[in-house]
Amino acid sequence: MRTRERWTAALAGLCLALLPAVVAPLPPQLLPAAEAQQTKSRPVLRIGAIPDQNPEKLNRLYGLVAAELSQQLGVTVTYVPVTDYAAAVAAFRTGSLDLVWFGGLTGVQASLQKPGAQMIAQRDIDAQFYSVFIANTRSGIKPIQNQKGLSVLKGKRFTFGSESSTSGRLMPQYFLSQAGVKLSDFAGGAPGFSGSHDATIALVQSGTYDAGAVNEQVWKSNLRSGKANRSKVMQIWRTPSYPDYLWLGQPNLDERFGKGFTAKLRGAILSWRPSDPEQKQILSLFGAQQFTTVKAGEYKKIEQVGRQIGKIR
Amino acid sequence: MSPAQAAAANGPQVAAPLWVLLPALVLLPLLLVLPGISHGGGWELVGQFASAGLQPSLDPLVLRSVLSGLGVTMGIALLGWAGSVVLGVVLGVASSRVVWQTVTGSTALAGWIRRLLALPRSIHELLWGLLLLQLVGLQPAVAVVAIILPFGALVARVISDLLDALPTRSLEALRCAGAPAGPALLTALGPPLLPQLISYSGYRLECALRSATLLGVFGLGGLGTELKLTLQSLAFRELWTGLWALLITMLLLEMLLGRLRQRWAMPGRLALGQTRVGGSGRELLWAGAALLPLLGAVAWGLGVDPASLLRWQPLPPMPAANWGAVAALPWGALVGNTVVMTLLAAALAVGLAPLLLLLVQPWPGGRWALQALWALGRLWPPPLIALLLLFLLQPGIITGALALGLHNLGVLGRLLLETSEHVGDGAEQALLGAGSGPRLALLYGRFSGLARPYLAYGAYRADVILRESVVVGLVGATGLGSQLLEALSAFAFDELLALLLAYALLTLVGEDLSDRLRRRLLAGAPRPGSPGVGTPDRG
Repeated sequence: MRTRERWTAALAGLCLALLPAVVAPLPPQLLPAAEAQQTKSRPVLRIGAIPDQNPEKLNRLYGLVAAELSQQLGVTVTYVPVTDYAAAVAAFRTGSLDLVWFGGLTGVQASLQKPGAQMIAQRDIDAQFYSVFIANTRSGIKPIQNQKGLSVLKGKRFTFGSESSTSGRLMPQYFLSQAGVKLSDFAGGAPGFSGSHDATIALVQSGTYDAGAVNEQVWKSNLRSGKANRSKVMQIWRTPSYPDYLWLGQPNLDERFGKGFTAKLRGAILSWRPSDPEQKQILSLFGAQQFTTVKAGEYKKIEQVGRQIGKIR
Repeated sequence: MSPAQAAAANGPQVAAPLWVLLPALVLLPLLLVLPGISHGGGWELVGQFASAGLQPSLDPLVLRSVLSGLGVTMGIALLGWAGSVVLGVVLGVASSRVVWQTVTGSTALAGWIRRLLALPRSIHELLWGLLLLQLVGLQPAVAVVAIILPFGALVARVISDLLDALPTRSLEALRCAGAPAGPALLTALGPPLLPQLISYSGYRLECALRSATLLGVFGLGGLGTELKLTLQSLAFRELWTGLWALLITMLLLEMLLGRLRQRWAMPGRLALGQTRVGGSGRELLWAGAALLPLLGAVAWGLGVDPASLLRWQPLPPMPAANWGAVAALPWGALVGNTVVMTLLAAALAVGLAPLLLLLVQPWPGGRWALQALWALGRLWPPPLIALLLLFLLQPGIITGALALGLHNLGVLGRLLLETSEHVGDGAEQALLGAGSGPRLALLYGRFSGLARPYLAYGAYRADVILRESVVVGLVGATGLGSQLLEALSAFAFDELLALLLAYALLTLVGEDLSDRLRRRLLAGAPRPGSPGVGTPDRG
C-alpha cells in the first residue's frame, strides 16, 4: 500500500499542477491572433434583431437580409440571434452588434444608452404602427367600440408579449391604464408575458389566456398564413397609432468600415423594392412595401410612455 | 399531533421512520389551493406537447441546429467545470484551516478567505451571466465565467471542509519527523482527499451541464436558447428533438461519471486485488492528459477569448440613483414571497421523492418509470417547467415553487434511490420475511436509517433552491427574482444593485440556517455520512 500511496500522492500533485495550465496558456496564444487578423483585414458587419417572432422566421428573414446587405455593400455580414429583448440592448451598447432591428422601446433604450447611435431606417408602416387586442372566441369577450371598453378585460386571464415589447406590452399597457385597467386587475393578480407575438396568438387561441395584445402586422400575417384560426381567436380592438420598429446602427460604423459607410448602408436599405425578387421576399417577411428614413423626434412619445411605465429610468 | 411530530418533539434521539415523509405534508394545502389557481385553458396544448414527445422532428435543419446547440452547451459546461474545479482546489486549499495552521501557525486568514468566498457563492450563475453580459457584451466567455465564479467558490468551500475534516495524524507524524510544510501536507492529505475530490468534481460536471442549459434559456448560448424559443413558439416537435438529445447526453454523462467514480474514487471495493499498484493513478494521469487538449480544442471551437473579458464596455449614462424609489419597493413582500416559494419548493422536492418511491414500490416497472420522470425533471431548466405549467396555472409563487420543486425532485429522487440501494437490504428482507407489505418494508427497512442524512441533504437543497429562485422570476413569480429581471430589462442599475445585495444577504442567512439544521440532523444520526447523502454538494 505504501508504494501505491506514494504513486497516488505524486500523481495527484502532478494533476493539480497540470490542470491550471489548461485555462491559461492556450487561448491567449491562439485566439486573439485569429481575432485580430479578422478584425484588421475584413471587418464583419454583425446584425441582430429583437426576438419578437418565431425563431425559424427570424433565421430565414435575417439570413436573407445578411445576404442582401453583403451583396450590396461588399462586406461580410453575419446574423447573430439573440433570445432576449434586454440582451439585445446590452449587446448593442457593448458593441457586440453593429446594426440591430429594434422595437420602439428597445430602440429608445439602446439610443439613450449609446450616445451617437444612428437611427438608420424604419418601415413605411412604422411611423403609424398599431397594436390589436385579441380574445379567445369562447371567453365571452365581445369586440369593443372604444378605449373605455377595455375595462371588460378586468378579471380575465390576459397576456402581453415580451416584457420589453413596444407593441406587445408598452403601448397596450399605456392604453389599458388610460382606460382605468391596472395590471393587478387581471385574473391571478398579474398579466402573463408570453415572450413573443406569435406565442401570444397561440396562447390566446388555445384558451390558455382569455385575451392578449399583439403587434398588428404579426396578427395580420398570422391570419393570412392560417396560423390564427378566426373561429377560435378574434380581434376586439385596434389601438391608436404610435411609432415603432427601427434599424439602429453603431456610431462608429464609418470608422470601422470606411468613410460614408453609414450613408451607404442607409441607401442600401432604402433602395429595397418589391420589383427585385430577393428584396421582395425580405419586404414581405417584414410586412412592408419599403423602408423610409426615421424622424428621431417621433420616438419622444415612446420615451415618455417608457418613463411613465418605468421601463426607462 | 402526528406520530412523526411527536417524535420530533421528543428530541433528536428518536428517529421515526416517518421523518422522511414529513415534508410531504405540504401536499395537503397545495392540493387545496391548486384548483383555485388552475384554468382549464391549456390542456389541449399540454396534450400536443406530450404527443410530440413520441414524434420529435427529424428535419435535418432542426437536427443540425440541435446538435450544434448541444455542442455549445457541453463545451460551456466542460470549460466552466474545469475552470471551477481548478479555481476551487486552489481557493479551497487557500481557505483551509489545516493548511494555514501547518504553514504559518495561525488560522485567521483562512477564516477571512472563507468569508470573502461566501459572496460569489451567494449569487446564482444566471445573475453572474447577466451582469457580465452588461459589462463585456455577448461573448462565449461570459457563460463560462458565469459558471466558474459561483461553482469555483462552492468547490472551494467543499474542498476546505473536506481538508479540515481529514484525520491529521499522519500530517503531525511527518511534521514531527522534520518534513517541510508543503511536502508534508501533500503527502499526508493529498491521497485521502483525492477520491473525495474525484467523486465531488464528477458531480459538479453534472451540475455544470444543467447550469449551461439554464444559461442558454436566458440567451447566453447553446441548446437552452433553442429549447426556450421552440417552447415559446409552441413548436413542440422541434422542442422534443432538443430534449431527447439533451436527455441522452445527460444520462450518458451520469453513467460515465458513475463508472469513473467507482473505478477511481472507490478502488478496492469491487476490484480488490485486480488492479496493479498505482494503476488507477496512472489512468487518472492519462485521463488528465487527454482532458487538456480536449479543453483547448473546445475553447478554440467556441471562440472563448479570456482577453475579451478585460475589454469592459462603459456602463450607459445613468441618471442619478433614486434611492428613495428603491427604498419604496415592497421589500417585505418580495423577501417574504421568495422565502415562501423556496420553502414550498424544498418541502415538495424533499417530501415527494420518498413518497413516490413508496407508492410505486409494489409494481416492478414503477421504479423505472419514476427514474425516467426524474431524469426529465433534472433535465428541464426550471423556467421551462414554469412556462409549461403556465399553460394550466396562473402565474404566481405557487407556480414558481412547483417548477423549482419538480426540477429539484429530479435531483433528490435520484440521490435517494442511489443511496438507498447502497444500504444493505437485510432489514428490508427481514421485514418482508416477517410478512409486512412491500411499502412498509421499504419505509421501515431502508428509509428509517436514511431519514436524518436525507433530511440533512434536503436542508442543503433548500439553500440551493433559494439561490435558484431567481430563475423562475420570468413567470411573474413576484419574488425578488422577478423584480430583479424587471430591473435588468429597465436598466435600473440602482435598483439592481439593491436587489442583488438583498439576494446575497438572504442566501447567506439561508445558508447559515440550513447548515445549522443540517448539523443538528446529522448530530443525531446513528451512521452519519452514508455515501452521497448529507455531503455538501450544491447546485
